[in-house]
Amino acid sequence: MSGFWTELDRRLGLSECIGACRAHRVPGKASWLRVWACVMVFAVIVQAVTGFFLWMYYSPGAQSAWESVYYMQNQVAGGWLLRAVHHYSAHVLLAAVMLYVLQTVLTAAYRAPRELAFWAALGVGCFALGAIITGDLLYWDQNGYTSTKVRTSFLNLLPGVGQSLLALATGGGPDLGNLTLTRFFALHVGLLGGGTIALALAHAYLTRRADQMETEGTAGEPWWPNQAWISSTACLVFIVVVFALSLRHGVSGPHRGVFHGSPADPAGSFDAARPEWMLVGVYELSHMFPPSLSIVPIFIVPGAVLAFFLLMPWIASWPIGRMVNIAGTLGLLAIVVGLTCFSYYKDAVNEPHQKAWAAERELAVRVRQLAEAKGIPPSGALTLLRDDPKVQGPRLFAQHCASCHNYSAPEGKAILAEKSSAPEMHGFATRKWVSGFFHVKTITGPDYFGNTAFRNGEMVGAVKDWWKEAGDDQEAVAELTKELEAVAAALSAEAQLPAQREVDQRDKELIASGLKSIDAMCVDCHRFHKAKGGGAPDLTGYGSREWLHGIIANPADPRFYGKSNDRMPAYRDILTAREIDLLTEWLRGEWFEPAAE
Amino acid sequence: MSETPGGPAAPCCQQRRGFLEKAAAIGAGALALVAPLGVGVNAFLHPLRKAGGGDGDLLKITSLESLPEDGTPRKFNVTADRVDAWNRFTNEPVGAVFLRRIPGQPGKVAAFQVTCPHAGCAINYEPTDQGGRFFCPCHTAAFDLEGRRTDAVSPSPRDMDDLEVEVRNEHEIWVRFQHFVLNKSEKIAKA
Repeated sequence: MSGFWTELDRRLGLSECIGACRAHRVPGKASWLRVWACVMVFAVIVQAVTGFFLWMYYSPGAQSAWESVYYMQNQVAGGWLLRAVHHYSAHVLLAAVMLYVLQTVLTAAYRAPRELAFWAALGVGCFALGAIITGDLLYWDQNGYTSTKVRTSFLNLLPGVGQSLLALATGGGPDLGNLTLTRFFALHVGLLGGGTIALALAHAYLTRRADQMETEGTAGEPWWPNQAWISSTACLVFIVVVFALSLRHGVSGPHRGVFHGSPADPAGSFDAARPEWMLVGVYELSHMFPPSLSIVPIFIVPGAVLAFFLLMPWIASWPIGRMVNIAGTLGLLAIVVGLTCFSYYKDAVNEPHQKAWAAERELAVRVRQLAEAKGIPPSGALTLLRDDPKVQGPRLFAQHCASCHNYSAPEGKAILAEKSSAPEMHGFATRKWVSGFFHVKTITGPDYFGNTAFRNGEMVGAVKDWWKEAGDDQEAVAELTKELEAVAAALSAEAQLPAQREVDQRDKELIASGLKSIDAMCVDCHRFHKAKGGGAPDLTGYGSREWLHGIIANPADPRFYGKSNDRMPAYRDILTAREIDLLTEWLRGEWFEPAAE
Repeated sequence: MSETPGGPAAPCCQQRRGFLEKAAAIGAGALALVAPLGVGVNAFLHPLRKAGGGDGDLLKITSLESLPEDGTPRKFNVTADRVDAWNRFTNEPVGAVFLRRIPGQPGKVAAFQVTCPHAGCAINYEPTDQGGRFFCPCHTAAFDLEGRRTDAVSPSPRDMDDLEVEVRNEHEIWVRFQHFVLNKSEKIAKA
């Protein structure tokens, strides 16, 4: 048997290799300052392994990228952790490279014979940054999409070749799309991922060579086992940090691991886009330059900084070169940290920005609810949002209705007109809302007809008459109040609001008496089922889906206000039938909500 | 070592033959490598060969009645067909425009792309005490209601991109919807 192993070893050369490792000596003593080569190789192995398994789930396409990440994040057992470890190990690797470069500058360890190792470390940093930037798009969520759109647009700043580079990066479409994803994916995995691995290995090799050159003739300390022990502990620290970051949002809930926002919408707007932490300094710097000089903060300054680091081994040969390198690095560090903190502080006190982020987090939760309940159609998760009254209702209302109507919902959900001049729409067709028409003070107030052409109309006249008739007679007032409560209940029941289903069921008698009162009080002007009044809006099915869709589509239809219609336009000319449906469903509080846990 | 005729030639020729062999080895290897690389790079460069300069289509956006009389801008989604490489979408939201009546010119409407000419974020309208402004949340570019930059040092290289508007039948608003190259001081229509 031992003969077999000997023969195998002769072919593989394993014991030679192990022997060389054990014989390898580090200059001076084993030290925590010499762990970086090992940590970098370890980090790229983590990247490669987690990346390989992510690859098995990821699908780069405009209708499948977000969806496959959603699947990983929510359906695949432990998929969220896989994503998180891949994500954070890249970020921690970049942070480690930064620390390593800082240490190298302070100790002047870039000097001969370590120039190439230093450059390889800078290369690892650049490639890891590239992998982080391209990976950002692959989630295909709003922040990744918008950030990439912003970043790629900066290529236009490069004179001459800018637009061609942009087309090559994004695939040449007017928006980022399928081709951007396939290109970024190939770049991310093949060029940047592969390049980071190659450079980390090259760095380890070059460091080893330099160790050998430096320990020639001197003793040094054997790499095995002291340095090996310190280095593997450093790798353990690395992975502990990565897991601590991965688990910091808990192990359950919608935001565990790495945040996955709402699906990218090329036609939508996203107000909260910000770059990753390592680019925030440049982002803030770019604010300090006019557009004609944008190329300076985006390309020239970062390029000059990289050149400065690359030239350090040479600068160090000047009389005060080492001090120049150290002062330059510390100065840069102070500026970048300062700009970054300033930028984060600005955003923290920027209320619209915080609101935009809160809205995005809410949307991310919403799309997950819809995907879980309904499944994602082949047209992608964006369809779920575009077809959701809860999401689209407020947007359509804000765009098309809120120039006149208020929607005074509580808890920051209100959509208010600059100057409300038409009825309040929050709580539309509920009993409370309907009963507002039956009191002089409310119907003539701003929440009903106060600011409309109907301020002095027949309805207001009728309401005044009812109360005048009741006069000061407390009994009559009580009776009228009771009757109008019944009318409100009956009219509101016509709407068949989902939120009132149970009350409507319960109050059958009240509603029946209300129906009788409507037949007695309202049908001179209003049509109601069999009663054929005219001139005022039909109350049959008042506030129902069909009724509400109808009045939004054309309020001047004879069934509604006819010729007496005030300013409200016919939205069938402005919105699609589906958009009117979404608005209708939202106003009626008709949308999917997951059962409470 | 045997000396045969036609064997090792004079040193000068031997050297030349050695050089030729090396050159041939490198040349053949390089050629073999260039061919597949060229095929790949050629396909990679495809986006550069696409026809440029899209004119955009005139699209019906809304009706005149839906715009406030006082010239307050309103945002409207634009729906059109969209092609993304191998996918064709019919009647999809493709972007949005701001529309506003031009004060003092009844029946006249101005249209702007909501996309910021700087880096492509979506510009918002904000009411202010001075009658409102356009504002981009990404890099804080601000514009007045005519779309002109108002910051002393604006991040945006040009004013907001206005779009061609046609009012048909006295109330239908049609807009030529186009995207423009970002981050350039000139307004260049995208393909």
